[in-house]
Amino acid sequence: MNKVKFNESILQDAEKIIDECMGEASAFCQSRCPMHTDVKKYVNLIGEKKYDEAVKVIREQLFLPNTLGRICAHPCEMDCRRGVEYNQPLSIAALKRFAAEQADDEKLWDVTKETANGKSVAIIGAGPAGAQAAINLSKLGYDVTIYDKLKVLGGMMRVGIPAYRLPRDIIDYEYTYLDKLGVKFEMGVEIGKNISFEQLKNDYDAVLLAHGAHKGNIIPMPGHKSEGVFAATAYLMEISLTQAFKGAGKKVMVIGGGDVAMDCARSSLRIGVEEVHQCSLEDFDNLPASEEEIHESLKEGILFNAGWGPVEIISKDNKVTGIKMKRVKTIFDEAGNFAPTYHNEERFIEVDTVVMAAGQLVEDVSGGMLEQTRGGRFVVDKATLATSVENIFVAGDACGSNIVVEAMALGRKAAISIDRSLQGVDLLEGRDLRLEEIYDTNLEIPLPNGTVNLQRLHTNMRPVRERIRDFEQADLGFTEEQALKESSRCLSCECKLCMKECIMMNDFGECPKEIMMPLAKDGDMNVLMAYSCNGCDNCTIVCPHELPMKKIFIGARKDYVAANHGESPIPGHKAIKMHQMLGFSKLFTTKKRGGK
Amino acid sequence: MAITIDKSKRYGFMPGCSLPSYSPEAVIKTTEYLKSVFPKFSAVQKCCGKPTKAVGQYDLFKERFAQLQQDMDEVGIETMIVACQSCKLTFDEASKTPTYSLWEVLPLIGLPEGMKDKAKNSDIVFTIHDSCSTRNDRPLQDGIRWILDELGYKYIESEYAFEKTRCCGFGGMVVPANPEVAKKVMKRRVETLDSENVVVYCSACRSSLLQGGAKSWHILDLVWGPVVQAGDMAPVDVLSKPVNSWLNRYKSKAGINKAFKS
Repeated sequence: MNKVKFNESILQDAEKIIDECMGEASAFCQSRCPMHTDVKKYVNLIGEKKYDEAVKVIREQLFLPNTLGRICAHPCEMDCRRGVEYNQPLSIAALKRFAAEQADDEKLWDVTKETANGKSVAIIGAGPAGAQAAINLSKLGYDVTIYDKLKVLGGMMRVGIPAYRLPRDIIDYEYTYLDKLGVKFEMGVEIGKNISFEQLKNDYDAVLLAHGAHKGNIIPMPGHKSEGVFAATAYLMEISLTQAFKGAGKKVMVIGGGDVAMDCARSSLRIGVEEVHQCSLEDFDNLPASEEEIHESLKEGILFNAGWGPVEIISKDNKVTGIKMKRVKTIFDEAGNFAPTYHNEERFIEVDTVVMAAGQLVEDVSGGMLEQTRGGRFVVDKATLATSVENIFVAGDACGSNIVVEAMALGRKAAISIDRSLQGVDLLEGRDLRLEEIYDTNLEIPLPNGTVNLQRLHTNMRPVRERIRDFEQADLGFTEEQALKESSRCLSCECKLCMKECIMMNDFGECPKEIMMPLAKDGDMNVLMAYSCNGCDNCTIVCPHELPMKKIFIGARKDYVAANHGESPIPGHKAIKMHQMLGFSKLFTTKKRGGK
Repeated sequence: MAITIDKSKRYGFMPGCSLPSYSPEAVIKTTEYLKSVFPKFSAVQKCCGKPTKAVGQYDLFKERFAQLQQDMDEVGIETMIVACQSCKLTFDEASKTPTYSLWEVLPLIGLPEGMKDKAKNSDIVFTIHDSCSTRNDRPLQDGIRWILDELGYKYIESEYAFEKTRCCGFGGMVVPANPEVAKKVMKRRVETLDSENVVVYCSACRSSLLQGGAKSWHILDLVWGPVVQAGDMAPVDVLSKPVNSWLNRYKSKAGINKAFKS
């Protein structure tokens, strides 16, 4: 057979399939995970009781499965199809924790790395962003040293997130992965104090700032300078390190409606505070905190004043005695600017301590070398995390992340940039930024046939009265039975509807996009594939985009015949020739006219 | 569009290829019956050329179809009735002669006398395998249900019926090209039917379903043959034996000729 020249309409249809086929589209959960963890895959492995394989899949992206299984803000769950359809998203984070508890083992860890390339990188901050960057760079052969002013590992995970949510031994265990990769740590070393930024810059080929946003924000309202007013960061840090807080009284007001506020409130109970109040501009239905945190806070007895804005801290002899609040009318003006307005309705609560969980600021460690913007965040090129200074990059909360897994993704992005920079490669050339960020999947599929609403399973919590007395884990996770049941709710979101209809396409690839790639790119197609199509059209019928697979397979046969001297290129089709000859021969044909 | 019968016109019948190869009895009796109904009636037996088109020989197909059209014109056919779904599609595309399926014509002209309720005491429960080539031809599919109802047979609809029907495995000339795939498709088709007793209206489909492990009857087996009961064996797979098939095709041709002698 000569080289087949496929006609233009076939090639156009192939292009259309490459563009529109959703066979390779990520599930919603995966596209929403900043680290692109293959959720569907590991959840289904859990369902098959292949826990070690599940852990391996998680560890392809996440070095701290047990940590994230407990404290990840799980953006994946936000877009879970069961959430979108029924408001019952899969408990993805809890399943991750279950897998880690069942099967995480150092033996599964991938500690392979490229040979040393002689270049060194200093990372400021041992939190998730710094650690992730260290891992990626170390695996590429860089000599990486992490500096942290704290003596403990984990950054905000360690001194922001309370121990009852994240036991410290888990952080330490999961961070041993970095030791195995040969990452060096200089703990208890503060940049700008024990060692200058300038020196770091001179001693290393590149520097990454990933020191987080540890500086508390005090709202300058009347009375804010009174004794007994604290920032959430300082409050949580001291409690994290000592399981106590020297300045706390018996009645605490936490200002704020996010997860940090919930952490402050719930931690207060555990250090012996008798009465814990909360207030926030956002009303109860619009609290930024996660549903779980709000739920647990309520159960633990936090007294909510959501929708009540603090207007004045009342004090006596400069010691806090109470707080005055007003009922919130609106938070933003018509232009979207922060400009709260209030009803003429006041509430006063007697407290001796006020904790402000109202945002966190980034401190400068560069000695003014780098420009900072709102909240102290460093000015970076968002696509590459490069600063105005060569080979200085920023990641994590220091440049804009809000949650752990986002910080990790920024750490990974910074590592890619540092590697490019130190290898003399342009920071952007040929770089697929989609692989580094969340993205919109193009998956648009009907719910699988017979899908019914199944309730989300919740993890087992220690009894409230018991758990609020200590910092031991409050959440006991899933039992095996629960984990199996929960994982079975996964809808395994994927298209490939045609692949469930067509038998033959499965012999040639995973989905039409893959199968048609050679045709679209090089004008090539497997001849047996084209001649294995029954022409039934079921593929197109089930395809949400009604893509023309049959049209290509059947249509291409004309071009094969043209390239093969007018004959089918399939040896078995010789029989048809004989068949046709007989079917048209006088012996087997007739024509008759009856009647008048 | 609903069709109407106009007996002032000359109707023609073409049984196709697979039906004459499978059942000369069905071809002959159908021809005789149609001839008795239509005052002006002709018949043609030839291949429509679809297999050449299916393998990609479009020029050859045009040539072949032209021969058939010429035959039809010679015997004065104004409206064509076909018993093969591939023929129906091919004619609709390539022929100037308006073409109806036998399955949409029978409800209009009725079944021969004595057929009504002949199977009302049968205990067999069929399901129907619709031909995938005419998946969107609801009047044609409804005609098959009408015939079963008229004969008195019980049947259940399977999930993959009408426009959702699946290929029997025979389409696209895949059997000679990729027999393993064809075999898998045949098996899968049988697995997606809700009864092991299957009514088809294409002889090639019938053969595929037998190979896939089901018991299958052509709708004309039920019209012209004995009443089928639960547990009865389906007629043997003639089409898998070429010599028998061609012998049948010859018998069908001879039978058509004979029908026009009377």
